[in-house]
Amino acid sequence: MNAKEIAISLDLINRHYQEPNRNRFESKYFWEELYPLIATAGFVSIEIPYEPVWQFGGRSGVPMNRYCINTKYGSAAAYREMLEGKGITRVTGVTFDPNLFMRNDNIHFYFGASGHFAGEALSHAADLGADYFAISPSPYYGRIRQYHPDIDAQIEMFTDRTVELLSGLAAKAEELGVKLVLRNEYWSLFGGERVLALLARLPESVALDLDSASLTVAGIDPVQFLTANFARIGCVHLTDTSFVDSGEVWKTPNPEHPQPRATQVFRDPGTGSVDFAALAATLDQLGYSGPVVCSARQTRDPFRALLRTRALLNQLQN
Amino acid sequence: MPNIQYANMSHWKSIPYKQIDNFRDFYYEDKTNSAYYSDWDNILKYQSALGFNGIEIAPWDMADILPLFGSPENFTAFAKDRGVEVIGMFHGAHASHDASHFDEAVQSGREAVDTIVRFGGTYMNTCPTQNWFGCGPLSREEVQNCAKVMNEIGRYATDKGVKIGLHNEFFCAINLPEHRELIESTDPRYVHYCIDTAQISIMGEDLLTFYNDYHDRISTFHLKDTASSRQPDSLRYSQDPEITDDGTRWFWEPGMGTLDLKGLYRLLKQHGFKGWMSIEYDGSPDLLASMAMTRYYLDNELRPIYD
Repeated sequence: MNAKEIAISLDLINRHYQEPNRNRFESKYFWEELYPLIATAGFVSIEIPYEPVWQFGGRSGVPMNRYCINTKYGSAAAYREMLEGKGITRVTGVTFDPNLFMRNDNIHFYFGASGHFAGEALSHAADLGADYFAISPSPYYGRIRQYHPDIDAQIEMFTDRTVELLSGLAAKAEELGVKLVLRNEYWSLFGGERVLALLARLPESVALDLDSASLTVAGIDPVQFLTANFARIGCVHLTDTSFVDSGEVWKTPNPEHPQPRATQVFRDPGTGSVDFAALAATLDQLGYSGPVVCSARQTRDPFRALLRTRALLNQLQN
Repeated sequence: MPNIQYANMSHWKSIPYKQIDNFRDFYYEDKTNSAYYSDWDNILKYQSALGFNGIEIAPWDMADILPLFGSPENFTAFAKDRGVEVIGMFHGAHASHDASHFDEAVQSGREAVDTIVRFGGTYMNTCPTQNWFGCGPLSREEVQNCAKVMNEIGRYATDKGVKIGLHNEFFCAINLPEHRELIESTDPRYVHYCIDTAQISIMGEDLLTFYNDYHDRISTFHLKDTASSRQPDSLRYSQDPEITDDGTRWFWEPGMGTLDLKGLYRLLKQHGFKGWMSIEYDGSPDLLASMAMTRYYLDNELRPIYD
């Protein structure tokens, strides 16, 4: 594992929960000051979490979707050129989760909106020259159940429609030369080992994303998961956690913020209990050569998280 | 009972917790100030402690509030226990200028009114349509389409005990040339007006003249300051101007900009305004500090003029 080639996800700037007011995160200047800081921390590639929400309401300063990039830079190519000038040479990947669209009891709305915006995001990933497009195959299980209390009886229907949506994206991804990978969040309808049954129904071109913290929260050893499913691993996210889900928090509507005991589920890399040394060693032993991305999605201090992550990678390298 | 009661427009980012019972442990996890603005329990207590006994919520709060509390009624009861009442909710009447969207715009407005009623609120401050960029300038007919939607929503709201107040942003398709035309095209029995002191000043209205002209239509205020009155068309009509590229702020805490808020309070006294005012802190990096700064200014500069 070459630590110099590892990307950092821009999810370390959490516009939703990190500050009392997110206005500065919505301005172009903030991001253009950030990119050189990321490069200074030793990262020359980034991952972009695609968020349709910034398309609505005129918040185009947040570079998280095609509308925003085109509004501020004219095109993905111009955005990449700007990044290059600030020391970021690649956009390794784009992620997409459909939680925004699980907001009412209309399941057709969910699949329609998710399919539309996931397609947009995938095209945007191709325009950015990304290696992979990592999609969460379901919204929060608890959020689905909130609006569809009968979801447990409707899993077959939900799965069939998910397979249909993902198969369409897989064909498009192949055309565009982007790898489609399934995220494996602990809170998903297809979390933990359940993702394997979903994967089995999808084309061979679709791969798995290994997220070390999510697997750990789901009670699965990331090293064992990697070893058992190595042939289908298309992306690795180095995420950290100390959370033990003893109360089935994964089934709640807001599973990244456990109630009733508040805790930061995703710790800054290196500050939780994930054994990154063992994971890195296994990746090396197996000869993994795909993308590796660090994520501090719930950090309380993004600039400290950036350096904490680099400190961890330096330790792994040594 | 004072003539004016004060609320805050909710500009907090997403609040992930209802109440953090393990506050010390949560703090010690990373020893930052995150713990201080992550639950509604504390945020409502900050409001109550600083004398802001109302909160105006936003539709974008719903995705987090409803899973946390289970229902609007539960949120209202929780807030009331901490000395805060929900006074209303903001609403955007998307595409109301387009006649083909009449039914959709009215339906959306009615649903928002129903939501407000469940929260126990009585105000729905409503942006009349979307941004100027992409659909302006509006024709006379399109302005009338907006008015029809507002009248229809207003009639429904009035029946439910809710006052809708037109709320104009400086970048809205209803802009300076159409602003008064829209107000005068709506039915004063059903449609009121919420003066956003900064927004209309940036748009080009003179705050004191506008209030004097329309004082009998005013249901409530969004009180905030600006140092950027009378921006040119080229800026107001540009794409996504609300959040600037360089971090320039349009909006400041009362007293931190250049608006004649003391003159406004003299007029409030002259016209005998009674009702709620929501303070807005959009743009502030520290909402709690802004809240305290505002309370000091209210108590020492504005309330001595008219309370």
